[in-house]
Amino acid sequence: MTDSNHGSSRRRFLALGGATAAGSLAGCFGLFSDDSNQVGVSLSDFRGSGPLVESRGEPGGTSIEDLPPLEGEITVYLGGGEGGLYVDLFDLFEQAYDDFSVNHRLDASSSLANQIIEENDAGATQADVFMSVDAGSLGAVAKAGATQSLPSEALDAVPGSFQDGDGRWVGFAGRARAIPYNSDQLSESDIPDKVSEFPDTGALEGTMGWAPTYGAFQSFITAMRLNRDDDAARSWLESMQDHGVTEYDNEFAVSNNTADGELAAGFANHYYALRVRSGRSNAPLDLYFTEGDAGALVNVSGMSILDGTQKAELAENLARHVLSAEAQEFFATRTFAYPMISGVSPVGDLPSIDDLNPPDIDLTELADVQGTVDLMEEAGVL
Amino acid sequence: MGASDRWDRIRRIASVADRDADEPTVLAVVVLAISLLLLSPVAWVLIHAGEMETGRIIDLLARETTTAVTVNTLVLVAAVTALSVAIGVPLALLTVQTDLPFKRFWTVTAALPLVVPSYIGAFAFVSAFGPRGELADLLAPLGIESIPTIYGLPGAVLVLTLFTYPYVFLTTRASLISFDGTVVEAARTLNASRWDAFKRVTLPQILPGIAAGALLVALYTLSDFGTPAIMRYDVFTRMIFIEEQSRNIDAAAVLSLLLLVMAMAILAVESRIGASRDGAYVSSGDRRAGEIQLGYWKLPAMGFCALIATLCLALPIGILGLWLVRSTGAAPEGFVFEAQHVTNSVTLAAGAAALCVVLALPIAYLSARGDGTLSSLPERVSYVGYAVPGVVIGLSLIYLSLRFVPFLYQSLFVLVFAYVVRFLPQAVGTTESSVLQVDPSYIEAARSLGYGPITSFRKVVLPLVAPGIAAGAALVFLTTMKELPATLMLRPIGFETIVTYIWLVRGAAYQGQAAVPALILVGVSGLSMLIILRQEA
Repeated sequence: MTDSNHGSSRRRFLALGGATAAGSLAGCFGLFSDDSNQVGVSLSDFRGSGPLVESRGEPGGTSIEDLPPLEGEITVYLGGGEGGLYVDLFDLFEQAYDDFSVNHRLDASSSLANQIIEENDAGATQADVFMSVDAGSLGAVAKAGATQSLPSEALDAVPGSFQDGDGRWVGFAGRARAIPYNSDQLSESDIPDKVSEFPDTGALEGTMGWAPTYGAFQSFITAMRLNRDDDAARSWLESMQDHGVTEYDNEFAVSNNTADGELAAGFANHYYALRVRSGRSNAPLDLYFTEGDAGALVNVSGMSILDGTQKAELAENLARHVLSAEAQEFFATRTFAYPMISGVSPVGDLPSIDDLNPPDIDLTELADVQGTVDLMEEAGVL
Repeated sequence: MGASDRWDRIRRIASVADRDADEPTVLAVVVLAISLLLLSPVAWVLIHAGEMETGRIIDLLARETTTAVTVNTLVLVAAVTALSVAIGVPLALLTVQTDLPFKRFWTVTAALPLVVPSYIGAFAFVSAFGPRGELADLLAPLGIESIPTIYGLPGAVLVLTLFTYPYVFLTTRASLISFDGTVVEAARTLNASRWDAFKRVTLPQILPGIAAGALLVALYTLSDFGTPAIMRYDVFTRMIFIEEQSRNIDAAAVLSLLLLVMAMAILAVESRIGASRDGAYVSSGDRRAGEIQLGYWKLPAMGFCALIATLCLALPIGILGLWLVRSTGAAPEGFVFEAQHVTNSVTLAAGAAALCVVLALPIAYLSARGDGTLSSLPERVSYVGYAVPGVVIGLSLIYLSLRFVPFLYQSLFVLVFAYVVRFLPQAVGTTESSVLQVDPSYIEAARSLGYGPITSFRKVVLPLVAPGIAAGAALVFLTTMKELPATLMLRPIGFETIVTYIWLVRGAAYQGQAAVPALILVGVSGLSMLIILRQEA
């Protein structure tokens, strides 16, 4: 489990732009020149570093310089795990604006959703904003009537499929389902286009891993139920188990163990593989995306403004900031997520979000985790 | 049973317990109030379980998974408890009753594993013995391609045992120290063999102590979520966790209720064994039996102590060191570990320890001094919270505080109260056993000299029970330092501790960042363990 940043062998996967690493990034862009002192941080502060980032051009979209300044103190319930990375974004906003500060509470997205619903029932909402790493938790809070509408300035920047139909939540970073595979053990052609064919694929027998207690995996199964039906999802789970699949407690572990060769392939969100690769660039790890089924689900990290907040205006402005060019560049380069606005592209040679072929489902419907868990229990997976 | 019903019965019992009618009544009222408070989280379980339709409850309980997981849980609890006794009792005998070399050193190493959170122990074991772990890497060049899996029941039993057996070690050791060694010598002069003397004289005396420790091990195993999850062994807490994560709160409540039934069954078993509860944890007896000469067995005995210390201490600390060395570069700024995390943890743990000590005293006093089962009912009740998983306590106190004390919601009061609910029995146990060792005639003497009840308690009883109180405080302190699930759910906004930090970096897969905080956690808690051992010596 060591890390090595010195691996110089060429990669087939995600060429990572490393080949064109020209070191040309001067750290200063015209847009962010010293002439404008409104914002005390520059794009390079938002942007990550390393071979994935060096060759990127300037992001398009609304710059935070064109947004009203953030002023005041805001309380955010922040979904944990990857969400911990977003604390850095708050820090950058706090550096940019003297009068702005964020109080955050970090816990699992679904626990926070429970808590928001309890607080709302008791008329004692504590937070102004909920940021979740899973659309299902956003959907649950929205369905419980615990949200306010988001402003059209925020909603307009994001494709319709990555926001709630009634404007109760909006996605700010995309998380694609993917099949990380060990490129020493498998080649792309070994993996079928549809997850439904996995249980019949000899090359995948007894060599795959998954993390069924992980929220992202449960959303994937929920998507399968929505895209096909309950019986199909149940029998897929059963036949995958018959085919032989190893359980892990999180998807980073799935991706990491695939890189180690303990697994030939796994089910995980796309960015875990990039995280593994950013730690050790010579790992034999590649990503495969299925077509038009639950395996190609693009879930989002998103936010909603909570009912009962006294700071709706500040919360709305925060939503616009989270969807600014700089913040989207942050999500793309620091968390390897899919940006939600058209002006910012994903890192490396990840397929663009338009090239992915996600299933046609309403992400708010991912809130039905309960039905999924029941089904997974029936199938003997949980 | 209605509250007023129980109130009457406790009052009746209490008033026969002492001729002086007023004091026990006051004591009983105080104890009853504490007991009701301790049981309040259970009220939430009942309310939510009651909201689930009967049909769905039957579906849930009749499911194949539920049966399988119940069996899994009971097997795990039985195996961990048995193995903890098998390790803890011999270690206690060796370090108290024999001429083992470096006894002080081995006493400390035998007790210290309790300060290592079992989930950190589990990570360490997976890192060391997992399919791609350190051992596999070491063996690979020798041509050994695969090693037996650490996952599943054997791994879960091993890890839980290694990090909870010190409960049995500490209680057994305290019984051995307090127990009158001259009796063994008397038995030996009557030509009983050493084994016979142990079986017929020593064992019955230390059995309640063993049982008290085994109870803590069993209930901890029942309520632990992290370790079985990491070791990939399906237990009840995992089902509760899954239901909670899927916002299926009613089902989580029903399953919690089932868990409570198991806890009560365990409590009932222990009540039978530990009927006379003296000697648990702490004592001040000074007539030891003559040391057993180990002879040839000295080396194997030291080997046993060293093996346990290696697995429980050297291994996890070594693995943490490896993580530290291998962690690459700086974590994102959101992940900076600060001194504030340590201060917060220590403050919370100290607060919980102080409050537990104050609340444990009346419960322990009533249980030790009252006669009849009812006066020790509150003592039994105090164990219930220990068996409730932290996530259930968290859900429950969110609900209750929002409804009944909204001004305290997300305050440190509620969080400390959660720790009290979970960890009070540890303080009750140590305090009670030291109260039992106070000769009641001392108090009568003080009263006959004209001191009031409070004064005679303060002047006579308190100094004698102080070591037991200190040991209880230290136990609560170190378990609070380790607690994760309730801390996550109930901490005030922006209030981070060592364990919430470890949780955060683990969740974002920055494992290396967890090493320093984990080492600090073990170090600080280790200091409190030294207090426990010093009080006993």
